[in-house]
Formats: sequence, structure tokens, C-alpha cells
Amino acid sequence: MKGIKKYFKYDNVGILFVLPALIYMLVFVGYPIIYNFVLSFQDVTVRTLRSNVKEFVGLDNYINLFKQDNILMTSLWNTLFFTVVCILFQFVVGFALAVFFNKNFKFAKPVRGLLLIPWMIPMTITGLMFKFMFSTDVGIINFFLRSLGIIHKNIDWLTNPTTAMFAVIFANFWIGIPFNMILIATGLTTIPKELYESAAIDGAGKFQTFRKITVPLLKPTMESVLILGFIYTFKVYDLVYVMTSGGPVNSTQLLSTYSYKLSFEMFKYSEGAAVANVLFVILFIVSSIYLKFIYTEGEE
Amino acid sequence: MDSDLKLSKTKNTVYCVISIVLLCVLLFPLYWIFVTSLKTEKEIFQIPPTFWPEVLNTKSYLAQVKSGDFNMFRSFGNSMVISVGAMLISIVLAVPASYGIAKYHFKGKRAVILGFLVTQMLPVSVLLTPLFITFQKMNLYNTWWSTILSDATIGIPFSVLILKNFFATIPKEIEEAAYIDGCNKFTGFIKVLIPIAKPGVVVCGIFSFLYGWGDLAYGMTFILDQEKRPITAGIFNFIGQYGTKWSYLTAFAVVTIIPVALIFILMQKYIISGMTSGAVKG
Repeated sequence: MKGIKKYFKYDNVGILFVLPALIYMLVFVGYPIIYNFVLSFQDVTVRTLRSNVKEFVGLDNYINLFKQDNILMTSLWNTLFFTVVCILFQFVVGFALAVFFNKNFKFAKPVRGLLLIPWMIPMTITGLMFKFMFSTDVGIINFFLRSLGIIHKNIDWLTNPTTAMFAVIFANFWIGIPFNMILIATGLTTIPKELYESAAIDGAGKFQTFRKITVPLLKPTMESVLILGFIYTFKVYDLVYVMTSGGPVNSTQLLSTYSYKLSFEMFKYSEGAAVANVLFVILFIVSSIYLKFIYTEGEE
Repeated sequence: MDSDLKLSKTKNTVYCVISIVLLCVLLFPLYWIFVTSLKTEKEIFQIPPTFWPEVLNTKSYLAQVKSGDFNMFRSFGNSMVISVGAMLISIVLAVPASYGIAKYHFKGKRAVILGFLVTQMLPVSVLLTPLFITFQKMNLYNTWWSTILSDATIGIPFSVLILKNFFATIPKEIEEAAYIDGCNKFTGFIKVLIPIAKPGVVVCGIFSFLYGWGDLAYGMTFILDQEKRPITAGIFNFIGQYGTKWSYLTAFAVVTIIPVALIFILMQKYIISGMTSGAVKG
């Protein structure tokens, strides 16, 4: 008792404020993460779900996943491809928009504000919206492309394995632009104006100023945006599930959609958990790199 | 870049025009579903498509009130209950936690912060299966609670990390003045510090609400009955059952976007601060 009293006498009392949230997160996040690992080493299907004794099968689930037509590797590759292409496009367009709206014209602030809307729309709705726009016969995208003479026959965007990935990437690209734009815009405002002024006095051209001042000073922001973009895109689920459910023939199957399919469509809970763990481990590594990065660069 | 340099009048006009064009292109998808929701099913299939409905059709909105397995307005209400519930849990837990982290030094503080940062980056997939089994055991499966409780796991870490920065900027003198006036650590926190951090609390409320509102995975997995499901899961279900009846689907989409649009119109400045302050700095 005395030890406890002494512990709370000083600044340690702060932990009392944190404790409720901490316990909540341990129960609803910490425990499930551990449970998910346990599940992936057991054999839990719809038949064994309610029994108390669950068979321990070691690495069998993981081994099976690599054997089963190797959809796991397909999803892993798809997820990487989806993520990298998305963030590349988002970043470039977001950067360009941030620079553009950083100029001091009348509509800059209000229009930039309105451009944030796509980021706030529930992903289910965005998925639905693009499913509609990419649909073969009613889709406006086919109509535009035909009007411009780019295509002569409607493309089956979402039902053709070669184009489906492109369509989901496009939809996610639309969501990600505002996120990239606003973070880079905030980064731009931290660059001291004097630097640009003195560069102008020294006779530096626009491109030179951009390359010698903007890019190096914006490097920390750009790195954060790219890593965060990677993390958020790598775990995208709803959007793709609504648009294609991972199909056709797994051409848009991501780790997240594959895990869901195994657990809740095929009721192979343990295999679903195993796929989720693969996703988790990769994200955990990337997040750790990111955290290390902001902590060495930032204050603490 | 040249942000403070005055632009010439022509340049200003040119940039304004470009920005409006950009806006129209980027927000076109939203306009398009709105227009579609007001068309008849026949007009939707018309080629070339009409960019404003020839016959204004509001039936897609009204039809769902009376009949159908999917009552959009009930689902809307379900989503409200779930998102507000998740928001309340997030705020009630995150406000004191962020204060504790910002103002005190206790053992293990760094680990706690890192824990919140990591959970923010967690994929839902990892929690879905274990929580599904746990909620079944706890008899929470197929209730609103299952989804409220899991949606709050997204709002809490986000809110803690944002509010921590808010509390950190409140000068120590204000706190000390409160103690001199007879407050202890708890009453001082409630009476003095929370009111000052109010803008931060609003940001957290908005984002926690939006996370709940946008959720599909939890609502779809943990709630089985169509009458209890949030609107996102209801819409998804509708696609599965009736296929692509676009006049209805776009109407559902518009209704789902309404609260988001309202939040955006009323609280834009909070949204920008939430998107930037929470994301970049830990």
C-alpha cells in the first residue's frame, strides 16, 4: 500500500488520467492482436468456432495458404502494386495542387478547402460511385472516352482482370489527393519567405528555387506523407471490397479483402487470421520505421 | 512558394479560372451521383447521358420510406447511433488520457504514446476475426454495441494524439492559477483546462464521428440483422440482393453524404487542423 501511495505522490498521478483509455485499448485492440496470432496457429472453422478446445496446428495455416493456388502471394503482390501506384500518383498530383494553391489568388483558400471533400466521403460511397462511373454500359467514363475518340468499344473495366486493378487504383487515387495536398501545403507554409526573397534577389530562376529551396526544406514533410500514404493505402479494404470484392479471378484481391473472404465468406477463421497477420507484420515494420523516423527528426 | 507576393490582376483571374476548372473536375463524381439520384432508371441508361435530369424523379428517395427490405432512413438512424456512441466513448476516454500524457511524466509514458501511434496504423483486418469471436462470446454480436466499441478503437488513438498537442500548449501558469484558486488536479482539469482545449475536443469529436460514419467492415461483420445495420453495410447488402439499381443506390449515397457535407460546411477549419496536426507529428 505504501509503495502505491508513494508512486502516485508525484507526477506519476498522471497515469490515472491515461488508465481508462489504456485499458480500453488493451481490451479491444491489444487482446485481439494476440488472439489473432493464437487463432492463426489453431484450426478454427465454422464447425469448431463454438467448442472450447481448439486444435493447435502450428504453422499449417500459413503453409496451406502458400499452397492453395498461392492466392496469398497474388494478394501480397496486388497490395504492393496497388499501394505504390496509388501513392505515386497521389503524391505528384497532391504536390502540384499544393504548390498551385499556395499562390496568393482570391479563390485559393476556399477552393482548396472544397477539394478536401473526397477525403471525408465514406469509402463505401466512393466505391459505389466509381463502380457506377466505371460500369460498362451506363458508365460515364466509357462515355467520355468514346466521345474523345480514345476508345471505340466500351471497356468492361470492373469485370475484366486486366483493367479492374486500374479502376480501383483510380478510385483510391481520387480519395488520396486531398490528403497529400493538404499535408504538403502545410509543409510549404513552414518554409521561411525570406529564403525565397533572397533567392529572387540573387537572381535564381523559378525551377532553381524549387529545386534548391522547396525540395530540400520539404524533405521531412514529403517523407512523412509518403510513409503515411503507404500505411493508409496498404490497408485499404472497403473501397476495393465494394467495387470488385477482390475479383475478377483475384485480380484485385488485396491482403485485406482476401483475409475477409477467408474468414467471413469461407468461414476459415484461422486462415483469415493468418492472412491478416501477414498484413499486420508488414504494416508494423513500416510503422516502426516511420515512428523511428519522426522521433529522431522531431523533438523527443 | 511566392505566397505573399501580390499577383497581377490578369494572373489572379487566370488562377481563379484554373482553380474552378480543377474543382469541377475533381468534384465531378459527387455531382454525377447527385444528378443520377434524381433521374428515372430509364434516363440513367440513356445514351448520350443527360447532365441534368429531363424528368425530375424523387421517387428513389421516397420509395424506401414505405417498402423494401432496406429502409434507408432507419439505417441512417442506426449509423447515427453507432457513430455518436463511438464518438462519445472516444472523447470521454481520450480527453483525460491526452491531458495525462501532455502534463505529467510517469513511467512508461513513451511506450503509451508509441502504443497509440501504432494502433492508429493498424488494419481493421487484424481485429475483425478475433473481435467477431469475442463479441459472440460476450453476447454483443448482432448488437449496436459491437460496432460502437470497435469504431471507438479508431477514434481514441487519433483523439489522444491530437489533444495531447493541444494540452501541451496550455501554459503551466493557467494550471497553477487554478490550484491557487482552490482547485485540485481533477477539478482544475475539468473546470479550467477542458474549456481551453475545446477546439481540440471539437476536432476529435468530428473525426471520431466520421470514422464511425464511414465504417463498413465492423458494421457488416458484427451486425447480422438488416434492421440494426449502419447505412454503409445496408447499402452493401442492397447491392448483393438487388444488384445495381443505380437510381436507388445513388440516392442512398447522397443521403449518406449529407451529414459529411454538413460537417464540412459548418466546421471546415477544424477539419483542416485535424488532417494536418494529427497526421504528421506524433
